[in-house]
Amino acid sequence: MFKKVDLSIDFLGIHLDSPFVLSAAPPTDELEMAEHGLEEGWAGVILKTTSVEGNPVELKNPMMSSFGPMSRKVVGLGNIDLISHHHIDVVSSRVEYLKKKFPNKMIAASIMGASKEDWQNLVYRLKKAGADLIECSFSCPQGSMGEEPGKMLAQSIEATEKVTRWVKEAADTTPVLIKITPQVTDIVEVAKAVKRGGADGITASNTIPSLLGVDIYTFEPYPSLFGSGAYSGLSGPAIKPITLRTIAEIAKNVDIVISGNGGAFNWRDAVEFMAVGASNVQFCTLPMHYGFRSIRDLKSGFEHYLKEMGFKSPSEIVGKALKNIKNQEDLVNPKTRSDIDLDRCIGCGLCYAACNDGGHMAISFDSKTRKPYVNEEKCTGCAMCMQVCPVDAIKMKEVLDSNEYYFVERR
Amino acid sequence: MGRNLDLTQALIEAERCLYCYDAPCEKACPAHVPIPEFIQSIRTGNLKGSMELITLANPSIGVCGEVCPEEQFCQSVCTRSAIDYPIKIRELHKFVTDNVKLTDLELQLPPLNGKKVAIIGGGPAGLACARELRRFGVKPVIFEKKELGGIPAQEISKERLPYNIVREEAKQILTLFGAEVKDKKISDLQDLLGEFDAIFVATGLTEELELDIKGVNLQNVHTARKLLKTIKSSLRTDVGKRVGVIGGGNVAVEVAAALKREDPSRDVEVVYRRGLKELKAFKDEIDEALELGVGFQFLAIPVEIKGENSVEGLVVRRARLGAPDESGRRVFEEVEGSDFFIPYTDIVIAIGQKAQEIFPEIKKTHNGLIEVNENFETSVKGVFAGGDIVRGASTIVESVSDGKKAAIAILQYLQGGKNV
Repeated sequence: MFKKVDLSIDFLGIHLDSPFVLSAAPPTDELEMAEHGLEEGWAGVILKTTSVEGNPVELKNPMMSSFGPMSRKVVGLGNIDLISHHHIDVVSSRVEYLKKKFPNKMIAASIMGASKEDWQNLVYRLKKAGADLIECSFSCPQGSMGEEPGKMLAQSIEATEKVTRWVKEAADTTPVLIKITPQVTDIVEVAKAVKRGGADGITASNTIPSLLGVDIYTFEPYPSLFGSGAYSGLSGPAIKPITLRTIAEIAKNVDIVISGNGGAFNWRDAVEFMAVGASNVQFCTLPMHYGFRSIRDLKSGFEHYLKEMGFKSPSEIVGKALKNIKNQEDLVNPKTRSDIDLDRCIGCGLCYAACNDGGHMAISFDSKTRKPYVNEEKCTGCAMCMQVCPVDAIKMKEVLDSNEYYFVERR
Repeated sequence: MGRNLDLTQALIEAERCLYCYDAPCEKACPAHVPIPEFIQSIRTGNLKGSMELITLANPSIGVCGEVCPEEQFCQSVCTRSAIDYPIKIRELHKFVTDNVKLTDLELQLPPLNGKKVAIIGGGPAGLACARELRRFGVKPVIFEKKELGGIPAQEISKERLPYNIVREEAKQILTLFGAEVKDKKISDLQDLLGEFDAIFVATGLTEELELDIKGVNLQNVHTARKLLKTIKSSLRTDVGKRVGVIGGGNVAVEVAAALKREDPSRDVEVVYRRGLKELKAFKDEIDEALELGVGFQFLAIPVEIKGENSVEGLVVRRARLGAPDESGRRVFEEVEGSDFFIPYTDIVIAIGQKAQEIFPEIKKTHNGLIEVNENFETSVKGVFAGGDIVRGASTIVESVSDGKKAAIAILQYLQGGKNV
């Protein structure tokens, strides 16, 4: 009944009916869940990271905690999860089953090994089962197995390159993604190591090691298991800005396909991920919070955005923002001033408080009219007032060659 | 969202507050409760800090949390209304006072400085004044012949204002702030001035205005406040099955609601000269009365109460509304020849209160109220006054505000006019 935009993409030779896939995480740890997700409309699944039989995986619950404002919205989700307790025998049979049931969806799996033999064994068995793609977790926040247990593999340039080579050697033509961590000194060096190792792409990036919080009355960390806790992998909207930077930095410096992961929570975030260089976007916290049905608005919002912008395919937006991301010293310095729309202003005075206590004391407040006024001499155009205005009544304006230029930033 | 917020609801509501600079809600509050500040403290989970802020500003926090007409004060000017709807300030206020007790906080009062102030009347203004004075080292002595708490204690129905809240608050003023109560009627101010350094008169309005029509002396013609006191004391009234309440203020609506609550099968009607828009009662009280099934006879002027010994009914004359008067309220005009009869078993007179004739040496206004200057000083040196005896019928929070401000003025007076 409504005209549609084709959301499909080609991702490393795999046809995806949209760029949105379920990441290797709790939502893909059970067969029924993976089936449900695909039935709801996700373009593919990456089954939760598995390992060889005999590798004990002891999960500790409760494993989830979150932080947000006092009204407890999940802004950041913390997880002390490990890889799946289902081993490769179970996972490979699931791949086989899902591939038969959903031939047009991407059925992928994620692996973690301790030795060359393990890594390659895992790859061989997934290939045999018919996996469309293999993702390698080099970045579980609870640490890797093998040479330096506890340390994330992707924190070592040498190990990253070496293990990538082992995996790709075994995978041959099956596409391989290496899932890295942003918790490194130089993300570009890691990405280059992945490329040297021969992987087809990078998943940027995993959850971020964190400590979700501490109960200030008992001094127990969150999540507390009889008083004790551990560092969590942090996901959700809280880490989106970090992931955006990670993707952008890789995309600007290394010619490799990127799968965006970590903090995308809606279609707008997905557009941003793709605009800084991701070819597709993986989701975990969103379905964990709102369920697999969240794919409906993801696709619908994304589709309407593409239509509105005149894009014919999702691939057209990949990397479109990169040319605009520069070093601070390379930016021009516009002579901006705060421009307050007094008709929209509701007189809360927050811009006054922000400017006087956190800006350049350029805004005055008339208590009688309850309206703020800008002293253009003192205003430097820092935009703090614009950030706090609850009704978006403030813009930054520059008058240049008798033309007005506005700087309006979405918060 | 009901009146009693739980923690999650309170946090969500507190998140909505913009934390305005120079907040209009705070200015509109007669007690100048620092509203954005106490809400910010709820937001961070600092409920005790929030309680401290509210308590410092308003000695009558529990009572105000229950019955303050927020739509008339703080919430009416909330900036958030420009976005969606005002913050539920009274509910947040009540959330704090329900969850933190004054006794949970550590009070630190200065030692007594030897000064003593007599407070005549133990209602909201008197209690507020007593607490403020003690905060600054002055010993307050309250003279009250009835129960402490004033109108809130005696007349506001227990459904609207639980009795224990008023009693608890009055008790705290006595125990925590060391106020003393004397059950003694004061007849001579000069005698008292010999014993005390200053006097604060807060006797309120104790007399009811009388209606000057035929039949007011019949049996089954009642006065509103007496009925309210009876109901508040958990006694049953002897009011019959069809009642007309004459008046349009808070007391009229309150007594009508109380009679309906006492016996839901009873027909109760408020008989008022103007229309719904002109009713002086607070909106939430009117809404509550309507919900209880109280009826209204608008544009109805009582002309005569009919009956032999007992009431048989009321003759009323139709009114029509004319142009607005100086206060902006539309005046009513009688419609000649429009008299009609409503059969009532009982009539309740609730047309307002007046001051008792007290202390002839103090200068009064033409309404019999005490005249004060901006420092709450009466015409007699050392004697201050506030609350309804100065304002006429007003709200609890306004009386509290008077008591607080008068205490500061008294302290300045005691220090020879120096700022405290």
